Amino acid sequence: MKVKLELFGASRDLSDKDFLEFNIEKKISIKDLKKKIIKYVDENFKGNKNFKKIIETSAFCSEDNNIISENYKITKDQKIGIIPPIGGG
Amino acid sequence: MLHAKIIDIKKEKIEVSKAEEFVSSSKFGASLIFRGTVRETNENKKVTGITYDSHDVMVIKSFEEIYKEVDKKLKIKDKAVYIEHVKGYLGLGEISIIIAVACPHRAETYILSRYIIEEIKKRSPIWKKEHYENEESEWLKGNPIQAN
Repeated sequence: MKVKLELFGASRDLSDKDFLEFNIEKKISIKDLKKKIIKYVDENFKGNKNFKKIIETSAFCSEDNNIISENYKITKDQKIGIIPPIGGG
Repeated sequence: MLHAKIIDIKKEKIEVSKAEEFVSSSKFGASLIFRGTVRETNENKKVTGITYDSHDVMVIKSFEEIYKEVDKKLKIKDKAVYIEHVKGYLGLGEISIIIAVACPHRAETYILSRYIIEEIKKRSPIWKKEHYENEESEWLKGNPIQAN
């Protein structure tokens, strides 16, 4: 299945596009998705520490725009949003 | 009565006059308009502008939640609230956010306006990328959102 990770804020620096795509073989938790994103940073940005910190401190949101916990299971193709630490106004 | 909107600055303007119009009513004896603008320095760096990013749907949802909870938390039932936040690039002095409130009495407007901006800073998924004189830019460190 495919997980489309929509990028916001500081996480936009992870790609020229607005999203990253991950091909996943079986159902996966947000906690495990985070590990995959960190692996992506290792492979594409030489383990950039700032990027890793952003991922570690980010929340995630579901397709229906709710913040989800690390235990949330992704079981089918879907969009997940990464929500880095916020600060508008 | 709530108006909540994200303004994509490439497509439209953020206008104080619209906020004034929204909160104008003889029902209310007090109104207050808060404007957030782009400041020229931050942490001793000369800022030239800010790019705002937003998760639009979640931001509007957070504005609605903040508005609804005011009834119980602040006991302010009778009110008009107008919130607009920009996304996109803004230069120095340009308006990033307008919060206009109107209530029967002045004390409530000060409390309400302050409450809304502080909650937006804590809860609304909006991000700032500052641009500096040396052509560098940086996403500002923010506050992590916690899952419930």
